[in-house]
Amino acid sequence: MTVDISIIYLLDVATGDSVEAELRDAIEQAQLDDWHTKWQPALLAVLQELARKGVPMSQWPQSWHWNWAQKTARVQGLLAFRGFSVAALGETQGLAQVDLTKTCRESNQRGKPFVYLEYLEVAPWNRPKLGAAPRLRGVGSALITAAIALSEDEGFKGRLGLHSLPQADDFYRKIGMTDLGQDVAYQNLRYFEMTSEQARAFFEKEGER
Amino acid sequence: MTGKRTMTLNLTDAEMRVLDELSARKDITKTAVLRQALRLYQTIDARIEKGEKLLFENDTTKEKAELMLL
Amino acid sequence: MKLERSKEWWMGRARREGDAVIGAGLLAFDPVPDERQTTTAQVPAVEETRIAFGKFVNLMRRRRGFSMERLAEVADLDASELLVIEDDVHYVPEPRTVFKLAQTFEVSQRRLMQLAGLAAANDAGFRQEAVRFAARSEAVQKLTPEENSALEAFVAVLSEQDPKRVK
Repeated sequence: MTVDISIIYLLDVATGDSVEAELRDAIEQAQLDDWHTKWQPALLAVLQELARKGVPMSQWPQSWHWNWAQKTARVQGLLAFRGFSVAALGETQGLAQVDLTKTCRESNQRGKPFVYLEYLEVAPWNRPKLGAAPRLRGVGSALITAAIALSEDEGFKGRLGLHSLPQADDFYRKIGMTDLGQDVAYQNLRYFEMTSEQARAFFEKEGER
Repeated sequence: MTGKRTMTLNLTDAEMRVLDELSARKDITKTAVLRQALRLYQTIDARIEKGEKLLFENDTTKEKAELMLL
Repeated sequence: MKLERSKEWWMGRARREGDAVIGAGLLAFDPVPDERQTTTAQVPAVEETRIAFGKFVNLMRRRRGFSMERLAEVADLDASELLVIEDDVHYVPEPRTVFKLAQTFEVSQRRLMQLAGLAAANDAGFRQEAVRFAARSEAVQKLTPEENSALEAFVAVLSEQDPKRVK
């Protein structure tokens, strides 16, 4: 299987400089090894610190128990699922898994196929916690961009859908997705969709300078 | 990802009509419709092989009906 | 699938993120088996024993002088899950995790599953023992002699068989 690699850029929060990164359209063993040997210990350190400081669990990183080795094994060889990863500074900075078999719920595009972001997670050191600044910014956006590009590629016209982790609700609204409200069937997570018009706007917008 | 290969399909009139209908309704090309069908078929088949059952549930009555697939 | 966008475009997107913590997806472990959903319906009684479960894991770990990372290594588990097991009474552990812990601590699988709230315990006596144990053990660094004997007594309870079911 050949993996396509696109060169992208992330923001080094400490220096304000750009960092060259790779966006890969697969999750391979090297990424899973990074998840296991680098993300997990870093996450544990964060959780221990939060526990020590008495921070309520509702404010903890919300995907701390995800097992990416399990997630990717479950969809191995299935056409319906695709993985994406972002690598920079010799480490995996973010992972995402998408499902291509779902259909839209939003009234203007009901029943049309879209790219559903099943899981999206950035490395623990890229998330702000207890005043500590994240290392790199732009990883989450890159993975979302990849999902939208895949949607275009597959003929789904950029349509996208996801259940937001509560800490990310505002971000999805900010990038122009439609908030379809909390989903009782999905742990009351907020369900967002992106229409093809919103996807076009997302690609054309230059963002902040 | 990888290169694409070409295949010629022989479909009946009825099948072509369904393909056209789905393509229009889903707002995707006929090729995309068939690729979706392939994805769904493979995924469903894989889960049934694992011992799971595919069910349809009536949204109002919550009645479940099994969809038998080979 | 290749992406073509300018460096400025990527940097603009990155800046726009601000402090946002970006993530998406179901929080639960996957797949979520049906049995788990019915078990959590019995919340009141289950939580009592779960307090004991967390304390039990904590004491057994400390008795061996293990850090969470070490126990995770020995039992082939995720250290972050152990942290939450010991700290949060609302957390329902994975069946595999309880299985591995029972193996590592050499106590009855069935009993530990009941304690963790993953299986129903038929006998009120067991629940009483669990509540008693939870009350007696304290979350301090060193294992006191009192804690040690409380732990011993509880390990004995966890090694007992289930009483025969009455029809």
